[in-house]
Amino acid sequence: MPFTMLGVETSCDETSAALVSETGDPSHPWRIHANVVASQVALHREWGGVVPELASRQHLRDICRVVEAAFTEAGLTLDDVGGVAVTEGPGLVGSLLVGVSFAKSLAFARGLPLVGVHHLAGHIESIVLEHGEMLLPAVVLVVSGGHTSLYRVDSPGSYVRLGRTRDDAAGEAFDKVAKLIGLGYPGGPAIDRLARQGHERAIRFPKLRLTHADRNAPDLPGTLDFSFSGLKTAVLRHVTARVVALGLEGPGALPEGECADIAASFQWAVVDTLVDRLMQAAAAEGAASLGIAGGVSANSRLRSLATERAGAAGLPLSIPSLALSTDNAAMIAAAGLRRLRAGHVSGWDLNAHATLAL
Amino acid sequence: MSAERITRSAEQTSAVACDLARSLVAGDVVLLSGDLGAGKTAFVKGLALGLGVAPEDVSSPTFALLHEYTGGRLTIHHADLYRLAPEEVDDLGLDELAESGGVLAIEWPDRLTRPWERAVDVTLTHAGETTRRIRITDGRNR
Repeated sequence: MPFTMLGVETSCDETSAALVSETGDPSHPWRIHANVVASQVALHREWGGVVPELASRQHLRDICRVVEAAFTEAGLTLDDVGGVAVTEGPGLVGSLLVGVSFAKSLAFARGLPLVGVHHLAGHIESIVLEHGEMLLPAVVLVVSGGHTSLYRVDSPGSYVRLGRTRDDAAGEAFDKVAKLIGLGYPGGPAIDRLARQGHERAIRFPKLRLTHADRNAPDLPGTLDFSFSGLKTAVLRHVTARVVALGLEGPGALPEGECADIAASFQWAVVDTLVDRLMQAAAAEGAASLGIAGGVSANSRLRSLATERAGAAGLPLSIPSLALSTDNAAMIAAAGLRRLRAGHVSGWDLNAHATLAL
Repeated sequence: MSAERITRSAEQTSAVACDLARSLVAGDVVLLSGDLGAGKTAFVKGLALGLGVAPEDVSSPTFALLHEYTGGRLTIHHADLYRLAPEEVDDLGLDELAESGGVLAIEWPDRLTRPWERAVDVTLTHAGETTRRIRITDGRNR
């Protein structure tokens, strides 16, 4: 039996457990046996409605059955596990603590090495987990509901942040704009679908221009940072103006064709900015390959544009499939294996950190 | 005590917050009301600047619900209730956070189940493309 890591992830809305083992193949180092995610969406369905509890209590309720489900799916038992990896931050402390306490207890009781993992290291390693080791140096965009950051990977397991959002994450902008034009939650897939019926250039929303450093932080070079708050405000202003011009009761009454144009134009502004920054970083850092991880990487326009521009630059681009893009424990197990093999084992005083730097 | 200011850029909004930050002490709560894009997060960047916390650490906590910024005169707890229903807000433990020392800034306080007493109430309103009206009502009774 190859070395197998149990991964546990409870940093935000998803409770997840996974079993990932080493393959012995240096170019494709890990293999997933099981990756079980209990999202709130599925739970709400199972419980027949919205459960008025916050994530930490749901994690507490679900953690055991999610871990058991992972073992059942993998056909493995605790005796097959060589270590336990868990997300230690960033995230909600109450949520993180459920995973950390569970992992710590299990590892202690079984005498296994415990490895704390940074959530974003997990996202970056999700690319390797699915597609194998990246050509280095690599530039990776992590883009989700809570994060929009660029990293450089110089050697396996080393992550240098090149840029981050100064206000809203890209996924958050998708959710908020979706709500503005009356689409459901989550907003990302809804906008992606509607945008296919609209014109990307119908409305010229302002594109991000951060040519100078943040005035509040003039010491940062800042040119690889992101900002989506201004775009979100521009969409709000446009929608408000159209509602007034058409004499409508609210944004929900906008004609569907207009909503589709708004969705497509907004999506274009976000995706174009993300890919611009990714390619800028690639050029500045002399990247040998590119990666995109996080839930927003499922966006079809982001995938097509990034594939096109990476291809034009002659750079290989890796994007994990949806199951590994959104929050999951397999990526945490993989990042844990990476850390363990680099000699990192966490102490029994491992704690949850709301704001953990990578 | 209530005051109103007009700002013409996100930087000016931050500057107003920076002024307010000087008067903040441990346990103070700042409620930030305003539509999408009104400048609530920009306001928190200003609070950070005024408290000696790196403003570039401040970003929207809509997804994470809570951010914490340390390294300044006071720790800032930055909460965002945008995606919560009122019955979920109680589980966030804002009362404990407010009493844990530092400053608590809350975006979308309309989701609170009851009004927060003795808070600094900040309301930001769109008054043009980059112009904002900022009303600050200081309920701290000092």
